[in-house]
Amino acid sequence: MSHHHVPSVEDTKITMDGLGSKVFMISAVIGVVGLAATFGLGLSQGDDLQHFAFAYLLNYAFFLAISLGALIFLPIMFITKASWNVVLRRLAEVTAAVMPLMAILAIPVIIFAGKVYGWNDPVVAASHAMSHKAGYLNQTAFTIRWVIYFAIWSGYALFFWRTSAAQDKTGDLKYTRRLENFSGFAIMACAMSIAAASFDLLMSVDPLWFSTMFGVLYWSGGFVTFFAVLTLALLGLQNTGRMTNIVSPEHFHDLGKLMFAFTFFWGYIAFSQFMLYWYANIPEETSWYLVRTREGWDMIAYGTLFATLLFPFLGLVSRFAKRSRKMLAFWAVWIIAAQWLNMYWVVIPEFSETLTFNPMYVTCFVGIGGLWFAGIVKLASSTSLVPTGDPRLEESLRFENA
Amino acid sequence: MSTDAKLYGLLTEFDSASVLMKAAAKCRDEGFKNWDVHTPFPVHGMDEAMGIRGTRLPFIVLVSGFTGLGLATLMQWWMNAVDYPFIISGKPLFGIPANVPIMFELTVLLSAFAAFFGMWILNGLPRWYHPLFTNRRFRRATQDRYFIVVEAKDPKFNLEKTRDFLAALGGSVVEEVNESAED
Repeated sequence: MSHHHVPSVEDTKITMDGLGSKVFMISAVIGVVGLAATFGLGLSQGDDLQHFAFAYLLNYAFFLAISLGALIFLPIMFITKASWNVVLRRLAEVTAAVMPLMAILAIPVIIFAGKVYGWNDPVVAASHAMSHKAGYLNQTAFTIRWVIYFAIWSGYALFFWRTSAAQDKTGDLKYTRRLENFSGFAIMACAMSIAAASFDLLMSVDPLWFSTMFGVLYWSGGFVTFFAVLTLALLGLQNTGRMTNIVSPEHFHDLGKLMFAFTFFWGYIAFSQFMLYWYANIPEETSWYLVRTREGWDMIAYGTLFATLLFPFLGLVSRFAKRSRKMLAFWAVWIIAAQWLNMYWVVIPEFSETLTFNPMYVTCFVGIGGLWFAGIVKLASSTSLVPTGDPRLEESLRFENA
Repeated sequence: MSTDAKLYGLLTEFDSASVLMKAAAKCRDEGFKNWDVHTPFPVHGMDEAMGIRGTRLPFIVLVSGFTGLGLATLMQWWMNAVDYPFIISGKPLFGIPANVPIMFELTVLLSAFAAFFGMWILNGLPRWYHPLFTNRRFRRATQDRYFIVVEAKDPKFNLEKTRDFLAALGGSVVEEVNESAED
């Protein structure tokens, strides 16, 4: 029951039209140029592309986490039969459905594994602890696991996107039921494979270090970044006159709540991992933090504490901030930058024990980000920007926070 | 009914939420302060129609949260580093990481108490009796009827004028409600 008339998708523009191919081209070109520049800078380091491999890992892990966040978001929405999200769910679908592209972009990670991962280091491999891990942490098993991860992720991502797109044409309820029925399995399969993938991708850079929190830590960072990206995408689309009267401050308010909640969730997990290791003070557990709290890296550690957790927490705590377009856009950009800073702090200390920064990190961010974004725009252009056949769409359009 | 029963206010009944919504907007524009709307379910947009301003509760919660944070920090510093200094597994007497869980818990505890009991206080709870319970018609407020009640203590309340005003809102009936049912 609303005092205004209920908005309708007929009253607003919900396709990318000509803008889609234009943004795709620009983004793809920027992506290719960015990656080429990174490769050139990597060659000029004269270290046989080792620094390049770390720069690539940093940015690849960052963008993969965002798509994985979208991939987990979808089944949660279906399994809870939530309606508020329907109007913006197509954007989450395409963010996840870019997964086959992420599989292609994973190839350099696998090819350059020898330059990044400690389990490929003969000195480390000769240690007693590694003799027990060698059956799991080796190039063949690593490659096979990545094939399995991407089979699961691409399968679910394309399934969610295609089923939802098929429903646009007929509006048949069976598609919703099918997605709901598969969501439980999707959450379990994706949660376990994301945890395992985070061990492979980031934790095994130092193969002697282990953390049971690492999977959920990696996922939660990507989840909060995904909400920030989604917020910016919606604000951007509305600035071009798309989805203007169907995505209301009520929907932005909810995205703000999710950014706020998962900023703190991420911080809670990050601190839980740190505090137990700090308190137990066992060498094989503290080694990871030792490297990251010395030689200048301590600045980034404190920077992450404030920039990734405390500032956005205080910034988004009020209802006013979550309903203001400008404040929400500011904190979305902030969260993306702060999560990247944290990823930089996770990855790069394994390359250099003293604080270091290289323009490659930025060119590679632009390179992988450009291709990733181009892929998303391409998918978003192929269908309507809103799942018009979803039976809960009208409920979503009427949605109001109590 | 005794003649000295104190008047609580005037009640008017509606049978649709859309009529109620328009009526609420008129009451708001009339400038009443002590009045309320009663519905069997939440009606979206009613806050705006009634002109209700945002609640002060978040500020109460924020202040309480920071109080909890400060209290936890102070307590642990006093206990561990001042009153009974004792070295445990080589940790600093006042080691922030070890203190964070208690700082977090007390922040949450005091915030939750402030939110829960602050809501009680702002809503005038707990309250075992309400004058509206004396009205038989009002029992349908939890089923299928909508009500607007203007209290007699409202500065703009005038028995005759307010009765006429409410009667013109489109409701089915206007009734007087007394503070207590002294038959």
